[in-house]
Amino acid sequence: MAISFTLNGKPQTVDVSPDMPLLWVLRDTLNMTGTKFGCGMALCGACTVHINGEATRSCITQVSSVAGKKITTIEGLSVDGSHPVQQAWIEEDVPQCGYCQSGQIMSAVALLAKKANPTDADIDDAMSGNICRCGTYQRIRKAIHKAAALQSGKAKSAA
Amino acid sequence: MSSTVTRRAFLKTSTVGGTGLVLAFHLPGRRASLPRRADSPASKPFAPNAWLEIAPDGAVKIWCGKSEMGQGVRTALPMIVAEELSCDWQRVEVLQADLDSKYGEQLTGGSGSVRTSYENLRQAGAAARELMISAAVEKFNVGRRECHAENGRVLHAKSKRELAFAELIGSAAALPAPSDPPLKPPADFRIVGHPTRRTDTKLKITGAAQFGIDTRVPGMLIASVERSPVYGGTPRRFNADEVKSSPHVRAVLEVKSAHLTHQFGETSGPGSRNYTCSGVAVVADSTWAAMQARKLLKVEWNEPPSASETTASLREKMLRLASEPGTVIRSDGDFEKAHAAAARKIEAVYEVPFLAHATMEPVNCTAHVRGDSCELWAPTQIPGAAAESVASALGIPRERVKVHVTFIGGGFGRRLIQDYAVEAALISRDAGAPVQVVWSREDDIRHDFYRPAACHVLQAGLDARGQLISWRHRGSSPSIETFYNGTGISPQAAAQVDSLDFPAPFIPNFRLEFAVAESGMPLGYWRSVDSSGNQFALSSFFDEAAHAAGCDPVEFLLSALGPARKMDLGQNRGTLDVARRRRVIELAAEKSGWGKSLPGGAARGIGIGFGWGSFVAQVAEVSCNPSKGTIHVNRVVCAIDCGLAINPLGVEAQMQSAVNFGLAATLKSAITLEHGRVQQSNFSDYEVLRMNDAPPVIDVYIVLSSDPPGGCGEPGVPPIAPAVGNAIFAATGKRVRRLPIRAGDLRDG
Repeated sequence: MAISFTLNGKPQTVDVSPDMPLLWVLRDTLNMTGTKFGCGMALCGACTVHINGEATRSCITQVSSVAGKKITTIEGLSVDGSHPVQQAWIEEDVPQCGYCQSGQIMSAVALLAKKANPTDADIDDAMSGNICRCGTYQRIRKAIHKAAALQSGKAKSAA
Repeated sequence: MSSTVTRRAFLKTSTVGGTGLVLAFHLPGRRASLPRRADSPASKPFAPNAWLEIAPDGAVKIWCGKSEMGQGVRTALPMIVAEELSCDWQRVEVLQADLDSKYGEQLTGGSGSVRTSYENLRQAGAAARELMISAAVEKFNVGRRECHAENGRVLHAKSKRELAFAELIGSAAALPAPSDPPLKPPADFRIVGHPTRRTDTKLKITGAAQFGIDTRVPGMLIASVERSPVYGGTPRRFNADEVKSSPHVRAVLEVKSAHLTHQFGETSGPGSRNYTCSGVAVVADSTWAAMQARKLLKVEWNEPPSASETTASLREKMLRLASEPGTVIRSDGDFEKAHAAAARKIEAVYEVPFLAHATMEPVNCTAHVRGDSCELWAPTQIPGAAAESVASALGIPRERVKVHVTFIGGGFGRRLIQDYAVEAALISRDAGAPVQVVWSREDDIRHDFYRPAACHVLQAGLDARGQLISWRHRGSSPSIETFYNGTGISPQAAAQVDSLDFPAPFIPNFRLEFAVAESGMPLGYWRSVDSSGNQFALSSFFDEAAHAAGCDPVEFLLSALGPARKMDLGQNRGTLDVARRRRVIELAAEKSGWGKSLPGGAARGIGIGFGWGSFVAQVAEVSCNPSKGTIHVNRVVCAIDCGLAINPLGVEAQMQSAVNFGLAATLKSAITLEHGRVQQSNFSDYEVLRMNDAPPVIDVYIVLSSDPPGGCGEPGVPPIAPAVGNAIFAATGKRVRRLPIRAGDLRDG
């Protein structure tokens, strides 16, 4: 069945089983492997993408449900790693094994879109669905605060 | 104290860089001299050894011979090469080495990458640097001692002349490599010892990093495998035809159990049980198709005797064994006599459960078998054993197995066991196509090689002055050693306790015994191995002894250690450095404000761990609400002496990582058994640490040291569980003796 959506700003049509999770459409059908498989049950957050701007677990999202919607994956966040959240991740030297970080970053970007200056409690609320077994949580917290500062700096300089 | 220590949060160092001459190392096989072609510009890279290469434009490539699984080897190891090479770090590109004997031992484990590579990588970098200097000396026509290399150039200070490496590689390539190049004095280090950001971050924040599961090979099929629910079982019959008729399914195959070569290279002895779990593979065009079709599988299993094992039955066995005399691992003085005369005696039982590794990247491997050869793309900590095991299972020569090492999405010891590589190879052979085996999270939790459950019965005696005079530790657990090496090994070799673990050499009447508890469970190496549980028992019980003596726990530790000195272990077993042990305890105590009161009923506890060439002490600040059963770890202070810290920023990351990893085992995770089957399946019932459980602050302090580098991946794990347990006791008076700590453990009664 042909299903069309917008992927990272470009129109995309796939012909797959409508119940196939978006995760596997991205990874297997479209060969976009930046979005990760971790648990298959929305328990770990490794597969997080944005659907119409909302952080969503692609492993339990049937592809038929995203028809006509706008999807952003880690590959679409910036062309060169220059998104303020990615820059903050570099500055705080966040990733270790890195496997969960696509999902962590997508969750953090969605958080900052809603709360430009999140508190630690906001970060706990928004990020506790994203597991990191390497334990980069402390650096993720710092990086989110740094990204908030970078974004507000950008906003000010644009104003 | 502050002058000997540095806080490692200097985040302003910039790093990360470019491309360029590779000196790959492992010195045997030096390049033959080539005919000299003096002033012609170099047209090809200069590659004096296996580890590095300098391109004609001056860019440097450095190969990493170990596997990157988060611990930072793709940064720390190239830093060592670049330091001695004296190149511009900004122009270094790091590449992953595939399996190749020119890189020497490629096992990544035992917190050993830096420790075992340090001297060799220094030599590789230094040899190339000396060639650069030799080439420049000829061009300058000056004395060698008047020239030195720095930042990718050779300088002659007197005449203020300099030449970039790029201008020298043509001549250098014709020179014989020095066999014993001079190494830099550490005082001259400009890269090593300086906080340096990781070289792989950009790949990991853009989704570009290629993990094993991201491997894409033309014509590749995906396999999902239903494995025997009890380790050692075999499929009796299954509905292959029915499943094969599902959409996009190419094959439904039995995957027979294959014995693995011992992961550290030795031959497994009789009675060893390290084999792949047999099962039925569903091979399909896509991961989703394979997983969906697998749901239709109906398999009847032949079950082994261990199908009757339960957590309760193993616990009963371990408790019984640890209550009886076991194999003596260490005996000093006369425990019985001293203990009988003790003024005060304490006794306690400590227990820890089986644990799964639960790496974020599910277990996977891609294999392509063609005739008598096999190509693997493997997230592996031990590519040599992958080749060995696959060659053995396929019946082909080891040299015919090519192994590409990918990024690893978490290792923690799981990827030392090559069952998944063997599975992929067998299925590829039988399916006649390149195959990627992808484990689901449920497969991963239920078919791991687990950290053994264990039970420890401890007794200690104090004299009238409150000094520890007697200590007996009887441990029992399934044995990793017999699992891999077989039942023919000695009881001492099978033991899962260490004769040198503190307080071993510091108590005059000391006895350590161990008894193997048979279990059908598959066992493996879990970050810090048996220390992960043993140190919980030891540091917690030591804290009990301190309270029994009416002594502050830090004071009690320092008093037991005695004055800073090198302690002779006797029988040519070397010395034990008491100063380094004392220093991390004192440092953690000082930086945590030990002894000062905390608001809101919070309290501190200390845990220690010495091993892998490093020394760690951690103080946890914990708040508890016993009636609600809540435990919050508010702050952890971690002091480490790892000798020379190659990358302090990386050491900090490893300590924070270890604390969080250890906290999962302290507060969350347990694997339990019924009918020989693992009861957990996913992160819903095998819980791990999440952001809202993680301490707001983990402060890491590194002792400045010129001692040889020690390991960093594991030594931060063992101290945290006892630090938290001891803090809970300080806050509530409730002693925690079982992991993970459950809410009910804090309630009275």
